[in-house]
This record gives sequence, C-alpha cells and structure tokens, in this order.
Amino acid sequence: MTEKKPDGDLLKVAVDTAVRSGADDVIAKMVGEKKHQIRFSESSIDVNKEWKNHYMDIFVSKRPRFSLTGKINTVTIQDPDKEKIKSRVPKQVSFLDELPKSRLFWGVEENTYSSYPSMDLYDDGIKEFHEKGPQLVKRLIDSSERAGAKKAAGVVHSGMKKTGILTNHGNGGVYTSSFCRGTIRAFCGDESSGQALLATRDLTKIEDKFENVGQKAGKSAKKCLNAKQGKPGTYDLIMSPTVGGNIFENLLRGVNPIMMIGGMTPLKGKMGDKIGPEELTVIDDPLKEEGLNSRPFDDEGTPSKPTNLIKDGEFTDIIHNPSTAKLWSFINKIKLRFWKKAETTSNSELGQMGFTNTEENPRMLLPSPSNYRFKPGSYTLQEMISESSRPTIYITSNWYTRFTNMSEGEFSTVPRDAMFLIENGEIKKPIRNLRLKGNLLDVCDNITAIGKDIKQVRWWEVNTPTFIPHIKVEDCKFTKAKG
Amino acid sequence: MDGKSLAEYAVDFGESLGAEYVEARFTDSYSENYFFRNGNFLSIQEKPSSGMGVRVLMDGCLGFGTVEKFTKKEVQKRVDSITKMAKISERKVPLRFSEEKTVEDSWKMPVKIPFEDVSKEEKQRFIETLDKEIKKCGSGTLPFRNKIKNRILFFHTMSSEKYVVTSDGSRVESDESFISIYCVMNARSKDQKEQRMLGLGGCKGWEWLKEENVKDIIVRESERLVKTVEEAKSRSFEDPIDVIVGPEVSGIMAHENVGHPSESDRIMGREEAQAGGSFYKDLLGIEGRGEGKTVDLDETDKHIGSEIVSVVDDPTIQGSPAFYLYDDECVEARPRYLIKNGKLNELFLNREFGYEFGTSSNGAARSAGYSREPIPRMSNTFFEPKDHSREELIEDVKKGLLIESFTEWNIDDRRFHSKYVGLECYMIENGEVTDKMVKRPALELTTPALLESIDAVSNDYEYRMNFCGKSDPIQPVSVSTGGPYLRLKDINVGG
Repeated sequence: MTEKKPDGDLLKVAVDTAVRSGADDVIAKMVGEKKHQIRFSESSIDVNKEWKNHYMDIFVSKRPRFSLTGKINTVTIQDPDKEKIKSRVPKQVSFLDELPKSRLFWGVEENTYSSYPSMDLYDDGIKEFHEKGPQLVKRLIDSSERAGAKKAAGVVHSGMKKTGILTNHGNGGVYTSSFCRGTIRAFCGDESSGQALLATRDLTKIEDKFENVGQKAGKSAKKCLNAKQGKPGTYDLIMSPTVGGNIFENLLRGVNPIMMIGGMTPLKGKMGDKIGPEELTVIDDPLKEEGLNSRPFDDEGTPSKPTNLIKDGEFTDIIHNPSTAKLWSFINKIKLRFWKKAETTSNSELGQMGFTNTEENPRMLLPSPSNYRFKPGSYTLQEMISESSRPTIYITSNWYTRFTNMSEGEFSTVPRDAMFLIENGEIKKPIRNLRLKGNLLDVCDNITAIGKDIKQVRWWEVNTPTFIPHIKVEDCKFTKAKG
Repeated sequence: MDGKSLAEYAVDFGESLGAEYVEARFTDSYSENYFFRNGNFLSIQEKPSSGMGVRVLMDGCLGFGTVEKFTKKEVQKRVDSITKMAKISERKVPLRFSEEKTVEDSWKMPVKIPFEDVSKEEKQRFIETLDKEIKKCGSGTLPFRNKIKNRILFFHTMSSEKYVVTSDGSRVESDESFISIYCVMNARSKDQKEQRMLGLGGCKGWEWLKEENVKDIIVRESERLVKTVEEAKSRSFEDPIDVIVGPEVSGIMAHENVGHPSESDRIMGREEAQAGGSFYKDLLGIEGRGEGKTVDLDETDKHIGSEIVSVVDDPTIQGSPAFYLYDDECVEARPRYLIKNGKLNELFLNREFGYEFGTSSNGAARSAGYSREPIPRMSNTFFEPKDHSREELIEDVKKGLLIESFTEWNIDDRRFHSKYVGLECYMIENGEVTDKMVKRPALELTTPALLESIDAVSNDYEYRMNFCGKSDPIQPVSVSTGGPYLRLKDINVGG
C-alpha cells in the first residue's frame, strides 16, 4: 500500500506555491481519515462517534545565510483545494519574516530517496467495520459476563487514514493504514475488576479476538473478588504488558532530544551506560506492520528504519529528525566529540503542540516515536510466578503515573484492577489499594526476568504502541493511604 | 453558508430524520503558541480552526460527529451518518436528556485588549523579559550563578466564536478568549535538584498579564523554588502532626478529592474504563444506571468531612481560567456547592445525567473543542474561604508543617486514596513558621480522612490554572485549582 508518487496534484501545488513565495524548505502533508469510536459502560453503549477529516499541513522554513538555525511555521488547511492553498501559503511564507529564528530548527531531510519499504498497513475489512461495531461490542460484553463479570465498560476505536507527503527535496509518497483497538474493564463488584486490551490492524477473525479479550477481562475480574487491603512494604513486582507499557513509556519519553533539552528525563547523560540487564533490548520500530504507528516513511519522507534505543541493557540511541540530528552533532562538536555524528532515525512528525488534544492546536515538526518493541525474554508468566521465592506483587493495570522530578525519574503510580500477592511461588490472594513508588532508572536496573509473551499495548494510559511482555523487577516499594 | 446557518440547518436536518434531540456547536477559533527555552524561541505557531460538532439522540441512543466541510450537502451527509451510528447502538435502557429552560442569548468574555491588537513582537518581548527575570532569581546579576538552569515557557492565546443551537430551541452565541502561560523550571543547587510546574491562565484579553500581576507571581515562585532547592532537607515525622496547606495544594485537593468524585458520569460508570469511577457511588447507594433514577441529595445525610468544609465550583467568576455563562448544552451556568458544611450537597450534572438523577442540569457540560462531546466537567473548584487569617491558622500549631506548593500527586480511580508530595515546605514550631525547610514530605490520605481532618480554613484565596484530563479521546479543559489555606489536624507525614 506504499506508493512513491503522492496522490493528486494538491501536494505539488502546495510545495510549488511555497517555493515560489520564497520558502527554503517545504513539507506538505495531506491526511484523509475516517475514525469511529464506541464507548460503553454498565454493559450498554453510551455513545457512537464518527470523525471524518481531510486536511493539509504545510510546513515552511527560511534559512538565513550564514545561520545554523532557521525560521519555521506551519499552516493547516481544512478541506484543501488549489484556491485555498494559493491564497494561504504565500501569506504563511511571508509571515516567516516577522518571526525570530527557532533554536530547534536546523534543517530538514535533504537527501533524496528513490524507494520506500513496501508495507501492508491496511485491512479492507475496515470499510464496514463500524457497521458491525455495536455487535462486536456486544460480543465483548457478553463474553466478559460469561466469564464471571457482572458488568463491563470500555471503548472500541477503529479507523482508516490515507497520508500523502511531498517535500521540496523530492521526497514523499502515499500510504494507507487502518487500525482497531479497544479496552474492556469488567467488574464483579466496584472493587473487583479486570482489564484487557486489543490493538491490531488484522481484522481476520476479529469476532474471536473480541471474544477472547472480553473473556480475559471477565476472568481477571472474577479472580480478584474479595480482594483485601495490601500491606505496604518492599516486594518484587511482576508488571503485566499493560503496566510495563506505561512505566516504560515514561522512561522512553527520554529518548526524545526535546525531553533531554528540557531536562525532563533521567536518561540525560546516560547514553552508553548500562541501564538494564543483558536481556533488555528495546527498539523504536516503524516497520513492524502490526504496530499501530507503523509507516514506510516519516513526515519528511525519510524511509523508515528501526532504531535500537536500549541494546543488551545499554542505552544506545535516541530518536531524531534531521533537525535535531544536526543540533546533536553540533553539540557534540562543541564538546569536542568530533567522532560522534547523529543522523535522523526516521522519526520526524508534524505533531500537535498544545494542551487540548484537539484540532485547534497548532502543529510543530518534532521527533516522535513510532512503536516501541521489546525483544522477547525467556520466561513464561507462570515461571515468573513459580520462581518467586520472595514476596511478590503482580499488577495487571495501573494509572496516574506522576513525578516528583522528571529529571530524576522519581515517580509513583496507582495500580488498578486485578492485583495479586504471590508467596512461595504461588498466587496467594487478590489485594487492593496500594501505590507503587519508585525511580524509573531503578525499575530498569532491577529487572530480573523478561517474558516471552509479547503483546501490543495501546490504551488511555499508553500513547505509543508498545510490544512488551510481562517483566519482573526486584525490590519495589509499595505504600498505602492512611484513613 | 456561514457557521451559524449551518448549525441551524444541521439541527433542522437531524430533526427531519426523526432524532429526539439534536445539538450543533460551531466554533471558529484562532490560536497562537509561543514555545521558549532559556532565552530562545523554539517555535511560534498560529492556527485558525473552524468546525462543527453535532450530537443526536435517536431512539434513545447517542451519536456524535463533526463537520469540517461547510456545505449544505456535507452537513446532510454527516448528520445522516451520525444519526445512523446512534440508531445501530441499541441501548438496553434508552437515554433521555433532562428538560431545560429554552434560552436565546449571547455573551462575551471580559476582554479589554484583544490579542489581535497586540503585535507578535510585543508578545515575544513579554516572554523574553519574563525569562530574564526568572533567570536572575537566586543569582543576582551574575549569569554563571544562575540557579534555574532550565526554563521552559509555553505561552498560549486563543480567541474563538462559538454558536450552540439545540432542537429544544435554545441558541447561545459567545465570544471567548483564553490566555495562559505554563512554566517548567528546573533548579539546581550543589547537591539537589527540584522541578516546578506552574500554570496561570484566564478568560480575558492581553490585559490579564497586568491585572493579575502574572510576571510578579512567576518571579516570586521562581525565587521560592531557588530557596527550596538550596535549603530543603529530608526530615522524618514519627508522630502525627498538624499540616497547613497553601492555596495551590488546597486547590488540587478540592479538584481531585472532591471535584472528580462529584462528576455524575463517573458515579454512573460512564468513565469507568478511562478516568475511572467514584466512591460516591457507594456513599449514595447507587446500584447502576436506569431510566430516570432519582437520588435526592436533600433526603440523604451524606456526611463527608468536618463541618467547616464547604467546596464550591463556580464557572461564573469573571475572567477566571474556566469562566463561562452558558455551558455547551445551552444551560445557564451557576455556582455549585459540592460540599456544604461537611455534607455532600450537589454533583456535576449535564443533561444526560440531570435526567438520570431525576433533576435538571446544573450547567456542567463542557467540551475541549468542537470535535469532542460535551460531558460533566469542573470549572473553578475551591474550598470556600472562612473566617481565619493565615496567621491565625499557624499560631495554634505547636509542631507542624506548612506546605505551600506540591510536585508529585495522584489518586486512585475511585478518588479515594490520594497522595500529595510537598515542594516548598517549612516546619512550624510554637505557632510560628520557621526557616527550617522540609524536602518532599508526602501526605497519603483517603478522601474522608483528609476532609475530616480539616479544622480551620483561611479567609484568603489564590488561584492556579491547570488542564484537567478526562474522557476518550482525552479532553483537557482549563480549570482553576486555587483556594484558601487549610489546616489538617493530626496527619501522618511520610516522605
């Protein structure tokens, strides 16, 4: 589904208009997307939503002579046509003269690429998916109830998107993608709940997938019936993929140069250090077709490629777009590390910059992760449990991870849904109402086992699709609220 | 067709398809973002945006969608599709909306200097000057002694016109304006690091910066951060002590421990797979959703805190970060007493849950933008100030702790088990605040324990601005989280 030539001539009109108006760099990105969402609670559908967007983002820059940095701006045109493009783009280019230079902008992708990886990111079944959405939700709910739940809440998202990119350096193409993802939280009582997730592009046997996910949530809820208050203290911890997805997303935010510059990560200054066990390898992988953020090229038309972020326990690389790569190389030169040259890792994205997560937010060209992929370890969940000779807590879901100081990585997070105490290699009992307190680097360093059961996680608390197994960590502190 | 006519047409067309209720909300907005770090602009971005959100209730099922191509034909196609989406949802118990007074009105936010009257150069100058002032904190004029090593400023302005029309015949037009600044400051001393996130904002024009002394507040907070990073020391507290929390901390407590559990959609489970439920469900003895179930709060004795505790949410405070006179369902806004004299008094209700609770909406329906559905949200939530001065609260404390600001915080998804970690904190001894600073003390309390422990509330009020996240896709909306000083008796302090 990857085409080298962009669709239609609107992208070309945008690029040509911007260049004629005096822009040194132009990236035109056209998106046509249709998304659906069903939210349900109390085992009944609350709302069925549909969004249909067609817009073009046009990034323009001017790079003054003898200057390392440049002036940047982005305009979004809804429902674009030639007339709108020809009227808006020249204004946006001339507006650059009024702006100061951006210290973050050091240039765009100037290499020209003749081909891109061929990827199948689209399932034709998505066209009719939303029509059978309510039936699938019903199946999800019914299967959770058959497994023991009294009621269920959740969400199912689905959609398709056609993305076209063209830059004035001749890069770009068109690709079409589709996705389906969902969350179900099954309840046996208000404090006995189990959550399960689904994230896939492949709609083959989708009914069975919904059935399995519902059943898993229902079983999990039933297992934690009559959970008792947990005892605060130090335990070993088994994180489900859902929990690991959240904790590691918070750590891996630090592989973004913007977070490093802002002092928002404990990974700053740790490049090349051993931060985890030999078994820990994490890759930013835009080429894994099942990954919900996969793509053949990024928003500057750089062909996608995987990047080792952590390899055999060593923090090896961060993600870059061409701009931050040039900035990083410059910083290395200043620090007299001439041999260290950063390059784009194909992670450029024209993303939203703002607080409201809506169409009203302006766009900005920044490095952004694709999918995180953990290398599978050698353990099954059962082995992790049975080899637990010390008191261990198994958390299946969590939320509200917050930091005392992001640059140090001190955090706490609140487990929710099923949580179990493991003693002498066996699940002893369900527990509740504890809080996990720790440091992101300590969690990474104290990993004692990595599972082989890789699962894609993407939900409300995990924004970057993450392929991750169960992970066991030793010596974690749990606290509880008084009163 | 213009936005208003399209919104009218969307409602007419939805009704012609047989919908019980149709609501169209057209928004035309213009945003500017200034992203600045350590003396340099990282970006200046602007974005005009227009669109319409349409909600329909069809056969007791709810559908929502957007229109971004402004032709009659497109409106027809989209409303038709949204209506079909609702229809196939087949709820077990049909949804109904509460009956509300029909209104036709227009209102404006109190803007003296519109953002478009201020040049980009002036906006840039303000940010550059502010950054220079922050940089000076703790270092005098010597740049190499700079203590706040990393300063990120995110400055935002947005002006918008909104038109909401419902099939009940209500029409509300508004001119809205929002300005905010969010600061992330990383300070460092010889052996310690501290990080401060600070948000300020208001529904006003450019004049907000002067009227609210924004620069002075940020510089004052920066100086306090430098003091904290240089002087705070870890101390342990074996026995319970009295804790006084400042406006910033009382604000986040009002928001998390009282505001969120008071959201009717949480109580009824609609947020359970995302932002969670509410322990009020047990407190009110609610089994689950039904058709027009009545919970009469007047008939119940729902004691939830000490008698001195009253918590108010008031969207009608002119120019506040969450100011509005009509909500996104055309219901007139009004102050709401969530807790009155220690008793649960009122919940956040939109029309969906107004009906569910057997009453009417209290104007709590807000959405983060035209592409999001309106749901029950907080606005300006705070503990109601009482009679004591801050000094009077302190003078009765023999041994205690004053927590002026916080860093890490979180709460479980039923809003029962909360945690707040102090940032700028001082020991109180024999009725006086000492210069002994305490590093990162933690209060980990259940909501009832927290609310029961309050024995005195000060008579002043200071606000902060935050963005509150809820729903799916997540809808961050601006809220204020300030309040008075609170005294909490006999509290276990961890760290």
